[in-house]
Amino acid sequence: MTVATLPIERPAGRLRQLVASGIGPVLAVVLAIIVGGVVVLVSGSNPITAYQQMLVGAVGSPFDISETFISSIPLILAAYAVSFAFRCGLFNIGAEGQLYMGAIASTWLATTFPNWPGIVLIILCIVAAMIAGGAWAGIAGWLKAKTGAHEVITTMMLSYVAIDISHWLLEAGPMTPSNAYGTPESGPIPPQAAFPIILPSWILPNARLNASLFLTILAGVVFAWILWRTPLGYEIRAVGFNPKAAAYGGINVARRLVVAMVIAGAFAGLAGMVPVWVQMRLYDSFSPGYGYEAIAVALVGRNSAIGIFLAGLLYGAMIHGSVAMQANANISGFLVQILQALVLFFVGAELLIRWLLRRGGLRALVEAPA
Amino acid sequence: MDAIGTLVSIFARPDLWAGTLRFAAPLTLAALGGVISERSGVVNIAMEGMMLVGAFFSVLVAAATHDIVLATLSSVLCGGLIAAVHGVASIHLRANQIVSGMAINLLALGLTSFLMFRFFATTGTPSDIPALPDVKIPVIYDIPFVGAVIGDQNLVVWLSILAVPLAWWFLFRTRLGLRIRAVGEHPRAADTLGISVYRIRYLCVILSGLLSGLGGAYLSLSVAHSFSDNMTSGAGFIALAAMIFGKWNPIGAFLACLLFGFGQSLGINLQGTGFPDQLVAATPYVLTVVALAGFVGRAVAPAADGVPYEVGE
Repeated sequence: MTVATLPIERPAGRLRQLVASGIGPVLAVVLAIIVGGVVVLVSGSNPITAYQQMLVGAVGSPFDISETFISSIPLILAAYAVSFAFRCGLFNIGAEGQLYMGAIASTWLATTFPNWPGIVLIILCIVAAMIAGGAWAGIAGWLKAKTGAHEVITTMMLSYVAIDISHWLLEAGPMTPSNAYGTPESGPIPPQAAFPIILPSWILPNARLNASLFLTILAGVVFAWILWRTPLGYEIRAVGFNPKAAAYGGINVARRLVVAMVIAGAFAGLAGMVPVWVQMRLYDSFSPGYGYEAIAVALVGRNSAIGIFLAGLLYGAMIHGSVAMQANANISGFLVQILQALVLFFVGAELLIRWLLRRGGLRALVEAPA
Repeated sequence: MDAIGTLVSIFARPDLWAGTLRFAAPLTLAALGGVISERSGVVNIAMEGMMLVGAFFSVLVAAATHDIVLATLSSVLCGGLIAAVHGVASIHLRANQIVSGMAINLLALGLTSFLMFRFFATTGTPSDIPALPDVKIPVIYDIPFVGAVIGDQNLVVWLSILAVPLAWWFLFRTRLGLRIRAVGEHPRAADTLGISVYRIRYLCVILSGLLSGLGGAYLSLSVAHSFSDNMTSGAGFIALAAMIFGKWNPIGAFLACLLFGFGQSLGINLQGTGFPDQLVAATPYVLTVVALAGFVGRAVAPAADGVPYEVGE
């Protein structure tokens, strides 16, 4: 290769690289839709109707788009928590518990000081959610660094503990004001501490999408900035890549493990606060498993800020779209879990995708320059 | 003082100990499967999904045929089948095994709930499905306390207990077990010696599916007498933790399962006694973390665990 061709080659190569890194997940989605369609067909329903209803349900109206975002945001934030730990070589399987702690801490603060000015309260609640989530994940990081306790067990066990604590707080009383129906739920989040709704009601009545969307975008920027633009991020990635080499290079591996978990947990804490601030109350068992689905989102998004954001939107759209599909096409909304699983499966089975691309004559995309 | 009195009286209840064995049984089956699979070098976090599949298809077949043998067989078979999918992904497609495992878990949740809606949406699963039998042991049954604990336990409970030494013997005292461990520690060396790495790994992954499937059938047919969406609710993940906690050893994993079973049983026995049962329910998890940090220390997985193997030329 001559020097003269380099400047021309480089952007083209980069574009090709970008396409190549995106084509896997896109093809995975296509394959998932096909296989999922077969499942629907075999079970005796029309897959075209199912997908049509799902699509319309997810993005068919401005209101649905707003709801799709609401379904996506906790997934995206929790996926940042999974992914940030991944980058340090840690499998944070317990984002669920970390987000419960974030939800509990922020709700406690907001309901205990309901008369504080809104702007102060909401900022403090965000901080409290991040600290609580970060501390909860930090325990696992610290134990890993100190004793080598496997983070898959500790984060998962701590998840169950956090969820049990929330059950106790809401079912046995400490956070539950007496209410007419005796339902386990916290008191209301004071209205002045709400996230502002993005679209005013005269544009889109009843839209619930709030400024937590901007918080999520900001979180993505911070995620990428820490990892790729700071010495800390470099060290975290070095530890994730090869802890022995990192230690040899003078990096304090133990400390980086703890810091990575704390930062990861802070993302999860935020993920827990946001849905509470949509419902304006902390309900018992409020999370439908955001922390677990986030693992899939992180994997499909390939641990990058943008990838996770897009994967989270896709998963959120499927979740919201499934409501309309179940109601209108009488097909179980759990088709979504099947689709999500298939996407994840095909993303994992890279070899299969490569083989398919090669058969399709798209060799150039497969062997993109590193 | 009163609290201690309550606690003592609960510890004297045979229910607590019988419940410990009952709750531990499905965990044990799944955890043993996990041990075998990971000993061969295939990371298996998909026990949750395999159990769920076993739970659903046993009920489906039980509802259709009212035949307990057929129902149990189909749960075991379906567990093995979905495990085979994980096997193909991990072994031939060399996929990231954690990704594939999570995919299996999600797929199992989706598929079983989807089919649940399709077949039993309006009615729920029928109440007249057969259950796995209890084993009433004549003499032991009449001994006070002991009789109430083990005199009338379910067949699967006994099977799970029996499976523990069997799995240990299989892994550490048979030629096949040695080969499995060789493949999990150093597949290249095993391959050189003429051991088929792929065949061993498929065998072990599918074996884990069979065991988890049986665990799932026990949960649905005998514990719940029904199927409901996501009814395993994390049992497979607990089994995963037990496997690591037990350091990939069948006996260690069994002890860990007993601990979790005890915690679950204690939580149930404490209900209505004034103890905050939600917090009591968390004790086995706290204990696990403490034990792991304090006594067990670094858990070392088999050397080639999770590393796809490419057959050499």
